[in-house]
Amino acid sequence: MPVVTFLPGYRKARVPQGATVLEAAQKAGLVMNVVCGGQGKCGKCIVRIENGETNFDREKFGVLFAAAELDAGVCLACQTRVFSDARIDVPAQTLVQEQKILVDAQPLDIPVHPSVRKYALALSPPTLDDPSSDLARLLDGVEHAGGPAATKVYAPLEMLRKIPVVLRHGRWRCTATVALVPGGYRLINVEEGGTAARLYGAAVDLGTTTVVAYLWDLAGGRVLSTASNYNRQISCGEDILSRVNYAKKNGTAHLQELAAVSVNTALTAAADAAGIDLEDIYEVMVAGNTVMTHLLLGIDPAYMIAEPYVPVVRRTLSTTAQRLGLSVAPTAGVFTFPAVSNFIGGDIIADILTSGMADQDEVSLLIDIGTNFEAVLGGRDWMLACAGAAGPALEGGEVLFGMRANPGAIERVRVDEATLEPAFETINRVPPVGICGSGLIDLLAGLIRACVIDRTGQINTGIDHPRIRMGRHFPEYVVAREDESGAGKDIVITGHDIRNLIMSKAAVLAACITLMDAAGISHGDLATVFFSGAFGNYIDKENAVTIGLIPEVPLDRVRNLGNGAVTGANQALVSRERRKALDRIARTITYIELNADPGFMDRYTQSCFLPHTDLSLFPTVQRVLEECRLRRGAQWQG
Amino acid sequence: MTERITEVAVGATRTEGGTRTRSYRVGGASALPGMGDAGARPLIALEICDDPALWPVVVLEEVGDLAGDLSGWAKAAEERWGADLVRLVLTSTRRRGFDDPASSGKAVGEVLAATGLPLIVEGSIDPALDTGVFRRCGEAGEGERLLLGTAEAERYRSVAAAALAYGHAVLAQTPIDINLAKQLNILLRETGVPHDRIVIDPYTGALGYGFEYSYSVMERVRTAALAGDADLAMPVISAAQDSLTVREVREAPEGERVETAVQWEFYAAFSAAVAGAGIVCVRHPGTVGMLREAIADLWGGEGWR
Amino acid sequence: MKALEVYKLLPKTNCKECGFPTCLAFAMKLAAGGAGPERCPYLDEETKALLGGATRPPVRAATVGVGARSFTVGEEIVMFRHEKTFYHRPGIMVCADDTSPLEEVRRNAEEVRDLVVHRVGQDLTLDGIALRCESGDPDRFAAASMVVGECGDLPRLLITADPGAHAAALKVCGQFLPLIHAATAENHEEMAGLAKRYGCPLVVRAETPEELADLAARCTAAGVRAILLDPAPRTVGDFVARASHLREHAVKRASPDLGYPLYLDTTTLGTDAALAAGILRYAGVIAVPPLPRPSLLAALTLRQNIYTDPQKPIQVTPGIYPVNNPGRDAPVLLSVNFSLTYFTLLGYLEAGKIPCYLFVVDTAGLSVLTAVAGGKLDEDLVKKSIESTGLAGTVDHRTLIIPGYAAPLSGRIEDATGWNVRVGPRDAAEIAEFLEKGE
Repeated sequence: MPVVTFLPGYRKARVPQGATVLEAAQKAGLVMNVVCGGQGKCGKCIVRIENGETNFDREKFGVLFAAAELDAGVCLACQTRVFSDARIDVPAQTLVQEQKILVDAQPLDIPVHPSVRKYALALSPPTLDDPSSDLARLLDGVEHAGGPAATKVYAPLEMLRKIPVVLRHGRWRCTATVALVPGGYRLINVEEGGTAARLYGAAVDLGTTTVVAYLWDLAGGRVLSTASNYNRQISCGEDILSRVNYAKKNGTAHLQELAAVSVNTALTAAADAAGIDLEDIYEVMVAGNTVMTHLLLGIDPAYMIAEPYVPVVRRTLSTTAQRLGLSVAPTAGVFTFPAVSNFIGGDIIADILTSGMADQDEVSLLIDIGTNFEAVLGGRDWMLACAGAAGPALEGGEVLFGMRANPGAIERVRVDEATLEPAFETINRVPPVGICGSGLIDLLAGLIRACVIDRTGQINTGIDHPRIRMGRHFPEYVVAREDESGAGKDIVITGHDIRNLIMSKAAVLAACITLMDAAGISHGDLATVFFSGAFGNYIDKENAVTIGLIPEVPLDRVRNLGNGAVTGANQALVSRERRKALDRIARTITYIELNADPGFMDRYTQSCFLPHTDLSLFPTVQRVLEECRLRRGAQWQG
Repeated sequence: MTERITEVAVGATRTEGGTRTRSYRVGGASALPGMGDAGARPLIALEICDDPALWPVVVLEEVGDLAGDLSGWAKAAEERWGADLVRLVLTSTRRRGFDDPASSGKAVGEVLAATGLPLIVEGSIDPALDTGVFRRCGEAGEGERLLLGTAEAERYRSVAAAALAYGHAVLAQTPIDINLAKQLNILLRETGVPHDRIVIDPYTGALGYGFEYSYSVMERVRTAALAGDADLAMPVISAAQDSLTVREVREAPEGERVETAVQWEFYAAFSAAVAGAGIVCVRHPGTVGMLREAIADLWGGEGWR
Repeated sequence: MKALEVYKLLPKTNCKECGFPTCLAFAMKLAAGGAGPERCPYLDEETKALLGGATRPPVRAATVGVGARSFTVGEEIVMFRHEKTFYHRPGIMVCADDTSPLEEVRRNAEEVRDLVVHRVGQDLTLDGIALRCESGDPDRFAAASMVVGECGDLPRLLITADPGAHAAALKVCGQFLPLIHAATAENHEEMAGLAKRYGCPLVVRAETPEELADLAARCTAAGVRAILLDPAPRTVGDFVARASHLREHAVKRASPDLGYPLYLDTTTLGTDAALAAGILRYAGVIAVPPLPRPSLLAALTLRQNIYTDPQKPIQVTPGIYPVNNPGRDAPVLLSVNFSLTYFTLLGYLEAGKIPCYLFVVDTAGLSVLTAVAGGKLDEDLVKKSIESTGLAGTVDHRTLIIPGYAAPLSGRIEDATGWNVRVGPRDAAEIAEFLEKGE
């Protein structure tokens, strides 16, 4: 089998003859940017073959490269097969770059009462007068130590095989691990001696792009460490749909394995940091969206993406680590969050749990924004939820200089209303190469305040200013001149970009208003608006309201949940009560299909305006914009 | 419904600074027809054009030589057919390579000289031409309080500028959507065009070809305004411009073609009046009289209020 | 009632026995009038009555005639079609006099029966014959109504103030449930008696709402099952004003005795305007004199337009539509079967005089934007449509022009179909220029 060496870094992988460079890279642990899922479409997995026998269809993919590049061995990793040992150069931009991963969870203010407990026991050895069975002896001991009644604990066969040896070898001193599972209690481990202090659990946010893990000392009730990394499934496609399509074509096994590896990588890092043994982790709580949950469990998600969009599982599920390939204690319970629909998944239920909105009489709104968005409205008695496609603009896609929150992304912008000059900050303070979502929202808000754009987002090219000009196809505003930029050229935002952004934000706002209309409440009735997810954490609340991404509420009612998914997973890990609430929350939610709602398109059109066509819904924004306009007024009228 | 539709002045007589023999205040209703005070009856505009090549055949057959004679056509609209307004469509600007905005101004002047009726001017639809065409039209009609069109969401600044500079009102056209109509009105307001200088053209699809959308958008625009939405409180103009080129008219038997053309315009225009339009536009001269009578009848009702 | 108000009256147990996943989902359906309160087994009678009363249509139904061409009017719930929809299009019934030769009556009836206008997948027809007793002779009236009856099962409307003439006509055609016009202050007892005896719908006619309500109440009390109101207009304006008044009272449930469909006779009002006004403003049955074809065509089209459900737009039949006599090398434009999209596009193509094929796929009447966003328009649909229409046999090339809003699908369509895809403009107005440039 050929050995492929990747430069720089000399990572190696042994692959079968004819394997693709991409497969070799995956095996070598490199995470390449493969937006299309390895179909030769996106042209992102560019590598250069230094030596070795490979084959790449120059005819078919030649258009992507210059002849000189092709001659130098440049090709697409997913479309190049390896037939001998090879050395392959991987440019930095081909690798998924380190992105801001939102690790921060909210501090917990709930009592720690985990579902899994350890009982250190000193049992009396059996005698002819006391001949009760080993199991009864052990379980009685657990009961006497304050554990559940012996009759309520189920002991699986693998435990029965272990008990006699452990008891006798340890001279009747042992530690039993008992977990509360759906349907009762379960004996999940017996160890010699006293190990009660070594009881750990992990809460995991299994995202489409990233995995975040929290490691808990369940006996002591504290967080030991956290870790995060990329979801390895990225090599099978960047978004959910391409993962599902990959599963359709190739089955779920590979994706299941990658999901498990991704979780294991995070858990290993966290365990290393905390200096504990993975085998002492007895419970894993996983919050993921519906597709990620399906894929981790190895369930085919194909039927979810077509009408009528039915997921296979909708409630809390428990299984063991062994069965999923997680490298913690083999009998450790793995719990996945319930889902409501294909879009309202465990991550959203975790957000709701984190927000506490399901415990309140008042009505709150929760929004999770990415390429897709989810929105939940309600309180203790009822909840309405919907989901939709916002398009990639808010994450920097479909925008000329849009980018993810990578180093060099402009993440904060202000536009001076008098001079129309921008002031910006970039991630890691390096020269700007593009603009990420939070920067785009700032920019939009800044440009409307400065009257550079009108309420439909059209740039007023009548303004005589060096930063406002007609671009090749569209009018544009220069955010960073070539000399200020790290991209080697002017960084601009075009009228077309702005239009895409407005359409994205309109989808979110229209969905929120659809929920509010369905319940018959107005923005004044909202006790809190919760933002969840990475995107929500970085955006400027005031600017989000100014452009009409969310309904106007007083800013002190807008709250960021941070990584609500992992916080929710933490809660459900350490608290039986919170875990019990999950299924109730999932049952309370009424899902609204936006496509079937006849009023949605109307609300969408209304929302394709800054901030909204009905200005009375945004009284404060309207007042501010009116003042801005009056200040600028004299200048334009001339 | 308690609010009132904003009144827009169209046309200026000598005492008002123009040369028209009459002028109108469009709007003023506080209810839809049949539901209260519907204000003055809707005005009927007859459309004429400066380049008949793009005009419906069934009209050209009716007007004969007048088609090439802008003055005669405009005069006949007033004297022979009894229209309230003339709507001059500058079809010449739609020709490829058009580069003579001065001719547009001249056409406006010619029509103003030929008739005492107030004038609606429908200019270019190309951002590259707009500035020149609208400036010339606005200039030619200075003081006459034209209704100058058409502003659209993507190209409203040049129409607005010409209207503001020469004292005209603006036609604000959006594609059959109440929200877009409202948005354009806000854009115009924020460009400096006051509410009483805007007329909403929500775009009217021909009968059987999208008219159901147009009808409901007109009703929605009116009911929203009467319920207090100031950004929709301007008068509505309706012109089912495609009426005379629909299949039913094109393929009507020879002897029925004129009658079909007239009915196709009539049903749409009359319905628009019922939906609260303040100005209805037609192209076939035969429709004008029929419509005038029907509207008078509609306004001559006795309710029970 | 709003969904949350309804929800407060429900048990809030999310037991799912009503068939909805949550009590709130059921409440939303109830509030929208899409389900009845009886589906919840845990509501007491009082709550059911409260919820039922708020969801029953405020305008009662009336059915005219029997058989395939009978029609129902009423059951309307809104003032404006955009608020929900208008449910039952008005029946247009063509007048005939009993003084005309019977052969002429028969010929007119047959013409009315056979008139069909085919428009966008629907057959538009007239609804019946309005027979007016001009002779003053009950036997003549009865004979004429017999003749109408011999022309198939066209519903009939009998018009005379003379109960004696009605009695004679009903004797020969009462079992076909004609609509009878009209009960007035003078004759309502006899008219109500006839309507009750034959089970016919009855028009009551009066000049004021008070009198109409009074007559309707009396006739209902006398056992008449279906009633229409004739507000006796003298002008089109009268009708529009009075009809609007009646509908408003009905919709607000202000006076139950005005909650009936309306009757309009256009004969003396100036026909086209009155007919249009009746279609637009709430008429249930419209009697018209025989009309020239252009008027009929326009009126039937207007009625089709106004009585289209604004939330379920008219759909164009999917398929290949040649425009301007295209050849085998003419471009193929993919579009959806949302009628407005189709007509708009067709309009620009015809105006631009560009030969091409419109390739309409079935998106269940959704526009391009909505169909793409909702996943209705995808590569599978395009592939299946290409196969089922035999598009490959219609043209010699393999290039598909797709709407600008469908651009995200371009790659997937190419993959699935093997056709080249060009992305066209978003706005139909730019299609001509796009095609000209492209050549």
